[in-house]
Amino acid sequence: MSTFYLPDLGEGLAEAQILQWHVKPGDQAQADQPMVSVETAKAVVEVPVPFSGTVVALRARVGDVIATGAALIDFDSGSVVGRIPAAPAEPGGAMVGGAMVGGATVGGATVGGAVAPRGARRGAVPAARALARHLHIELGEIAGSGPGGVVTIDDVLAQISPADRESRGHAVPLRAATLAAPPAAAREPLRGTRRAMAQSMSLAHAQVPTSTVFEDADIDSWRERGDYMLRLARALIAAWRTEPALNAWYDAAGDARIVLRHVDLAIAVDTADGLIVPVLRAVQDKTPEELRAALAAQKDAAHRRSLAPGELRGGTLMLSNFGSLGGRYAVPLVVPPAVAILGAGKVRQEAVAVGKTVSARRRMPLSLSFDHRCVTGGEACRFLAAVIADLEKPD
Amino acid sequence: MVEAIAMAHGWEMQHDESVVVLGQDVGVNGGVFRATQGLQARFGADRVQDTPLAEAAIAGMSVGMATHGLKPVAEIQFMGFLYPALDQIVNHMSRMRSRTRGRLTCPVVIRTPHGGGIHAPEHHSESTESLLCHVPGIRVVCPSSPARAYGLLLAAIRDPDPVMFLEPARLYRAVREEVSDDGRALRLDRCFVLREGSDVTLVTWGALTVEVLRASEELDSRGVSAEVIDLATLSPIDEATILASVAKTGRLVIVHEAARNAGLGAELAAIVAEHGLYDLLAPIRRVTGFDTVIPLSRLEPDYIPSVRRIVDTVLLTMAN
Amino acid sequence: MPTVAEFKIEYRQILDAQGDVAGEPPAFACDREEVLRMYRAMTLERSFDAKAVNLQRTGQLGTYASSLGHEATHIGVGAAMRPEDVLAPVYREIGTQLWRGVTMREILTYWGGDERGSDFAQPRHDFAWCVPIATQTLHAAGAAMAFKVRKEPRCAVAYIGDGGTSEGAFYEALNVAGARALPLVFVVVNNGWAISLPVALQTAARTLAQKAIAAGMPGVQVDGNDVFAVRESVAEALDRARAGAGPTLIETLTYRLSDHTTADDSSRYRPEGQVRAAWSVEPLVRLRAYLYRSGWWSQQQEQALLAQCAGEIDAAVAEYATGAGPSTDAMFDHLFEQLPAHLREQRATARKYGTNPGGL
Repeated sequence: MSTFYLPDLGEGLAEAQILQWHVKPGDQAQADQPMVSVETAKAVVEVPVPFSGTVVALRARVGDVIATGAALIDFDSGSVVGRIPAAPAEPGGAMVGGAMVGGATVGGATVGGAVAPRGARRGAVPAARALARHLHIELGEIAGSGPGGVVTIDDVLAQISPADRESRGHAVPLRAATLAAPPAAAREPLRGTRRAMAQSMSLAHAQVPTSTVFEDADIDSWRERGDYMLRLARALIAAWRTEPALNAWYDAAGDARIVLRHVDLAIAVDTADGLIVPVLRAVQDKTPEELRAALAAQKDAAHRRSLAPGELRGGTLMLSNFGSLGGRYAVPLVVPPAVAILGAGKVRQEAVAVGKTVSARRRMPLSLSFDHRCVTGGEACRFLAAVIADLEKPD
Repeated sequence: MVEAIAMAHGWEMQHDESVVVLGQDVGVNGGVFRATQGLQARFGADRVQDTPLAEAAIAGMSVGMATHGLKPVAEIQFMGFLYPALDQIVNHMSRMRSRTRGRLTCPVVIRTPHGGGIHAPEHHSESTESLLCHVPGIRVVCPSSPARAYGLLLAAIRDPDPVMFLEPARLYRAVREEVSDDGRALRLDRCFVLREGSDVTLVTWGALTVEVLRASEELDSRGVSAEVIDLATLSPIDEATILASVAKTGRLVIVHEAARNAGLGAELAAIVAEHGLYDLLAPIRRVTGFDTVIPLSRLEPDYIPSVRRIVDTVLLTMAN
Repeated sequence: MPTVAEFKIEYRQILDAQGDVAGEPPAFACDREEVLRMYRAMTLERSFDAKAVNLQRTGQLGTYASSLGHEATHIGVGAAMRPEDVLAPVYREIGTQLWRGVTMREILTYWGGDERGSDFAQPRHDFAWCVPIATQTLHAAGAAMAFKVRKEPRCAVAYIGDGGTSEGAFYEALNVAGARALPLVFVVVNNGWAISLPVALQTAARTLAQKAIAAGMPGVQVDGNDVFAVRESVAEALDRARAGAGPTLIETLTYRLSDHTTADDSSRYRPEGQVRAAWSVEPLVRLRAYLYRSGWWSQQQEQALLAQCAGEIDAAVAEYATGAGPSTDAMFDHLFEQLPAHLREQRATARKYGTNPGGL
């Protein structure tokens, strides 16, 4: 048996009223003969018999209003009536009366402006929001320093100093070794930079699988003796351009790394008060003169303890020029989230084979430590090679 | 909705003698969708004019009528036939006030069926509202319910400047509700918040408000609370309501039947990117018609954004 | 005052409403096979058209524009054209199209909402149906210009309705055709109605043919229900055009016996008496009478013809109904010659959500 449904009689008509049937059950209906007259919102329409067959049942009575797509008549016939797809299936079956369309209320609206006020969620620069998410920092707890209290990247970075990290339970708890102090010694609680160093180095040691590559740079051909810091900074920038992977942050918990497009150089400075690590921002864009000036200024400010907290955070690449104090090689510790630190030891005259002869040449020992979770040996070696290539230029 | 539109005509013509209707088949026939049913019998053939078959003439004459004491409410039979009239709309209607420094003004309404989904022949399913929104000096309005059609049409007729009134053809008969014939206009230049929510803002207009509301219900059952805004006035945009909503929800998905490229969704996204960037938790997304010619009826359901496509896009946005 | 211009419009009829021929009939009207060929084509058009309306009423076809009553105009034009000429139709002239090789299946496919219907197997060079009114007249002018520039002995024929003659595009087409002596014939099918607007309210011009005068070309009015007169007039106009003598406008007077389309109800605006009167002068009746009077036709042959038409139509409908629908991808085909990159992603989305991604 086939049921024929009320078709869409014209451009969105939703229903029709049965006016008069021209066939009855039992009739042998011929295709195209008149079947039923219906009235739509636009017109009286005569619907012809769609295909020949015996009429089994009329599914609507005279006077009934039926919707487009509702059953109209049953035929005893195997004919298949090729069908235009119904108007988009979802809006089908309109209900008469009431502001409903297939379950969705379309009426009843509030005019613009009547929107509930924004909740306590903080506005944040999208990049800062993404960074915070990577570092599992709650934006709600950060004071935003951007316009209107917007949270910026710096605000997020300010949260990742070791002290804050510890308060969030990310830091590895310091193992309190119980020591019996000799009675005559003065026990000095760690404060300030010493405390910070103890915490950040504990963290570094606990979290970072540090690997170190050693190599020397032959600086014998330098035309001018040493502005080592400037040359080292420049070499780091050059190496970054070759191998950017070492200028990155690693987010262990998020299993992600952020390879940064700017180089914020953190430089270890040994001061009377201990280790201070000021950060020079965006050194990649600085001219040599600017770099020299910035380095000098930072060093000066570090010694005078006049650096702002923002200048002590967020380094992307670290440099420790301990050679000015002495020492050849070292295994510098990588402080997360950074992934690399270059240590430069004391420049010295060394007996070096040059071809088949031995000569004395000035050499700078270099130690590049890297976080092996995030940096490959290949990347580290390429980076170091590029550092050396730049250092070995005469100027 | 089509009856509400006829009702609004009737009210305004009753109370304002200067309102005149013109268009093809609007008088004796009452309009091919019956949107002007009964008006000529009530107000006579001078005030409800069956014009010759010429869209440029309909628009151009509207300019002349409006600048000289009448308030024409003109019908273009389908948006696909609007284009001969664009010369008059863009070059004259939109800038008459500006170029005469206010000496001559054009209180015109041009009504036309908008969008597809009614099995119509070629060229009868257009939604090129972007073309119109790009023109300074005209308003573009698109109602999504009988009550809003009534109130917004009254507002449009009463407005002293040109209004393009785009009527979603597939809502003409598919949506019904009680509308009181009280002559109360709604405000132009304002969105309607159809549904309040807290997780995502869905902005849409016209016939797709139905799909968007359906999608919101499905999203609700999946724990996503959607706020649905009917833009209603497509130009100028009620930025404040949208920005306030995005500030609350942090997420924006725009749904329109019109093609994606240079569709109005792009304008909305730019507004929020500029003024609401810091509220965003996820990228702004658009669910739109494809950048193809809108297909004939066989493939039309594949073109028009479906409830499923809308739901999927919102879920993707939630996952960001 | 001297008169600097005058015009006259002639009215042509060969076969009157009773099927009698006044004066000398044209050669083809004396050729039994030729006349039967035209009669069969008119019958097929009539039968197919009725079927198409029924298909719409039973949900198997989208909105459809019936050609009921226009058969003589349609077949007369088709028979006068050469295959290599180009037709720019409106959307009602299926008789001309069927004559020229467009198939019933293609017609159903188009009105059924599938663009493949416009990809005529033949003639490849004819324009597709044109819904935006009067725009096709400019297309025809362009094609005619191409023939002129390339020195091809081909003509363009543009159809337009009485309503269409109010559109600016029509005047522009007339003007450029006249100004450039294009090989173009305008066939204005004046069927009395533009949806609900009668011709008397469409224009103050007494005839539509005289709009040609303003554009500097000849205009003639023809009984559009008289297939002989239509064919004769169009053939003459095409000869002129082919000979380089420029365009002609032919106004055929007929009547739209059906609603404008299946989405229209003409009983709202047309008096029943008028429609009945029009039926009494319809084109098939008079040609049938001519055939009987000439001893060329019989009742039996009439029944056989109707049965044959029904068979052909049913076969075409079956093909249409059981044919594969377009695949979702089809939306993206033929947008440009090469699909731009950004659309590939959209096509993938469409496939994912499409109703017919595999094209079954």
